[in-house]
Amino acid sequence: MNDRLRRSLVRVGAMASKETLHVLRDPRTLVLALVMPVLMLFLFGFGVSFDLDRVPVAIADADRTPASRELVRRLTGARELVSAGEADPADADRLFRRGEAAAVLVVPSGYGAQVARRERITLQLLADGSDVVVANQVLAKADALVRAESRRLAGVDLARVDPPLQVKLWTRYNPAGRSALFMVPGLAAYILAISAVLLTALTVAGEWERGSMEQLFASPVGRLEIVLGKLAPYLVLGMLELLLVVAFGAAVFDVPVRGSLALFLVVGFFFLVGMLGQGLLISVVTKNQLVATQAGTMSSLLPSLLLSGMVFPIENMPPALQLLSRVVPARYLVHALRGILLKGNGLAALWPDLLALIAFAVAVLALATARFQRRLA
Amino acid sequence: MTGPRRPSARVQLAAVFRKEIRQTVRDRRMMFLLVAAPLLQTLVFGFAVDFTVDRVPVVVVDRDGTDLSRLHARRLLADGTLRRVGAGADLAEAAPDATRGPAEAEAALDEGDAAAAVIVPPRFGAELLAGRSPEVQVVIDGTDPNRSTVAGATASRYFGEVAEDLARARLAAAGRTPPAQLALAPRILYNPTLQSPPYMIPGIAALLLLVVTTIVTAMGLAREREMGTLEQVLVTPIRPTVLLFGKIAPYVVIGFVDVLLLVAAGIWVFGVPLRGPLSALFVGTLLYLLTTLGVGLLISTISRTQQQSFLAGFLFVLPAVLLSGVMSPIRAMPGWLQAITWVNPVRHYAEVARSCLLRGAGFGDLAVPLAALALIGGAVFALAVVRFRTRLG
Repeated sequence: MNDRLRRSLVRVGAMASKETLHVLRDPRTLVLALVMPVLMLFLFGFGVSFDLDRVPVAIADADRTPASRELVRRLTGARELVSAGEADPADADRLFRRGEAAAVLVVPSGYGAQVARRERITLQLLADGSDVVVANQVLAKADALVRAESRRLAGVDLARVDPPLQVKLWTRYNPAGRSALFMVPGLAAYILAISAVLLTALTVAGEWERGSMEQLFASPVGRLEIVLGKLAPYLVLGMLELLLVVAFGAAVFDVPVRGSLALFLVVGFFFLVGMLGQGLLISVVTKNQLVATQAGTMSSLLPSLLLSGMVFPIENMPPALQLLSRVVPARYLVHALRGILLKGNGLAALWPDLLALIAFAVAVLALATARFQRRLA
Repeated sequence: MTGPRRPSARVQLAAVFRKEIRQTVRDRRMMFLLVAAPLLQTLVFGFAVDFTVDRVPVVVVDRDGTDLSRLHARRLLADGTLRRVGAGADLAEAAPDATRGPAEAEAALDEGDAAAAVIVPPRFGAELLAGRSPEVQVVIDGTDPNRSTVAGATASRYFGEVAEDLARARLAAAGRTPPAQLALAPRILYNPTLQSPPYMIPGIAALLLLVVTTIVTAMGLAREREMGTLEQVLVTPIRPTVLLFGKIAPYVVIGFVDVLLLVAAGIWVFGVPLRGPLSALFVGTLLYLLTTLGVGLLISTISRTQQQSFLAGFLFVLPAVLLSGVMSPIRAMPGWLQAITWVNPVRHYAEVARSCLLRGAGFGDLAVPLAALALIGGAVFALAVVRFRTRLG
């Protein structure tokens, strides 16, 4: 029995070393597989940010008094909004279509006089709603700036009264609100999903296409041994990528590692096994590299980008998609990695994620091996 | 001159085109992936991507438990940006509970049950009435910067308003005229309720078109190279350039079919408006396809296997997607990265599609992105054709 196991392990090892040779002899693939995570991390870290400043706002000042000019100077003087020049409210459409301004601020005529009379004054803001992210931020920023200006105008009078109520805000885990800290754990899931599912799908489908799979079957290597041997090198490659992403994230974007590194590796391992199994399943079903990539993109890449909570919060999705996200392993990985890296959570908080990842890995591997065996009988 | 004459270029092109169309259409799985999959993805994308931050889960720890503290807690949650979660929701309503404190709020944040905690101090109501200034604490989970900004702003805005109203009331009670007050009345054009789908769908069309055309061309041609079928066709009187155009033509057709399908789905399912001239969108699509197909072609000429061309395709597609302004605004990127986005065709096509559909922009408004697309597309395609010919000629 021990002898059989030993021989079986030797055969798995032989498959794995053959597959490793394939990977190593194709330096382009290897470089791409290792350069891609670094490049993506770099782009995500610097490129994906929802925090805008210096948003161009055109000014329609119908008052043209020192008071109104002071208002405009105060609103556009900060880092948040910048003036995109004078405009007529009727020009808003043209400005928005050409992307020259994101909003038009309308100061009513008689503004200066109203301030002097201590009235309530309404400023109008025409915003370009076609870019939802920018519009939301412009509205929030303009609102805050107008409130601040209102308080400043009132300053002399209100200062005599004690503030009746105070609010103290604390932000934990990511006090500076940096997008990179939020993105890196999500990115790890995304990169692993791409490389694990797609690389396995491609390499196994390639063997079918070239007919070399039949040659392998003619050898004494068993089906399960083929599967394990083929997956092993990609497992190593995936773990390397995972470490690379975290090391790079820590070095360049100061992503902390507050929790246990061992737990991090365990979670990453089971996620990878699941993804490799999924890639195998796809390749067994499609047997064609072109179809396999598209199927892999559909079934792993997009869900891990969209339904994992990596960028868009799951709570905001319709119930049907929330339910669907429960079978997306990336969801559990993203949650677990954020917990480990940013919050320092341990197994006590993260066991449901780990359990879900293990369940997915076991289920998909079993399914893939079963399909694999049936395919050949 | 010698031997039989070559058929005219038109005949050659028609022959290759017919063969390619048949080959593509006959492969049911491929057709599904090229036509049905993008449509399916658009539907998922459209429903999944929501930029509105609302219903942020909040734990309210009301350590005062008076009518006044409950009133403020309710009003804070009234506009739906914050949503009360956890046991705190019922317990605090039921009875004043001084034992539940910040520790429990922190536990809820740690476990991710809540994204913020509002802690109302004991004797909040009494101190407020007595004219002293009680301090409300708001603890926010900063993991998601977008959400934490909104949650923090909502809480500080609400309590700021309460404070200002109280201050004004006290001034008035003391017999002085309250000072002038400014308010902002926003009017939002094109998408008044700031729905995410009308904003996302045009961008998604740009992304899917890129994935479908670039990677499929790159891999399809690499596959032919692997199998040696390109060489077989080249033994026939067909010229390399003709072969190239014939191979690409079906993808142009599929690209247009995809755009039409996605726009139709956007209009009927997600209420995307169609305000601009469709001709501008078509010209933009054609120029964009020139680029995406050109890149696919270029990749196929530099890679030997399908695996390589897939990875190279991804190496192009991912940065192009991230730096396109589709998922996050270009204005939020650092300056040097914004400069790089100028050579990104996805950025310009997303701009054309959004501006045309939502803002009703025509050729005059879109001159800059259209010219950029034409320039990039022309350069990439010319380079690809030259490389393809030298590889095969």
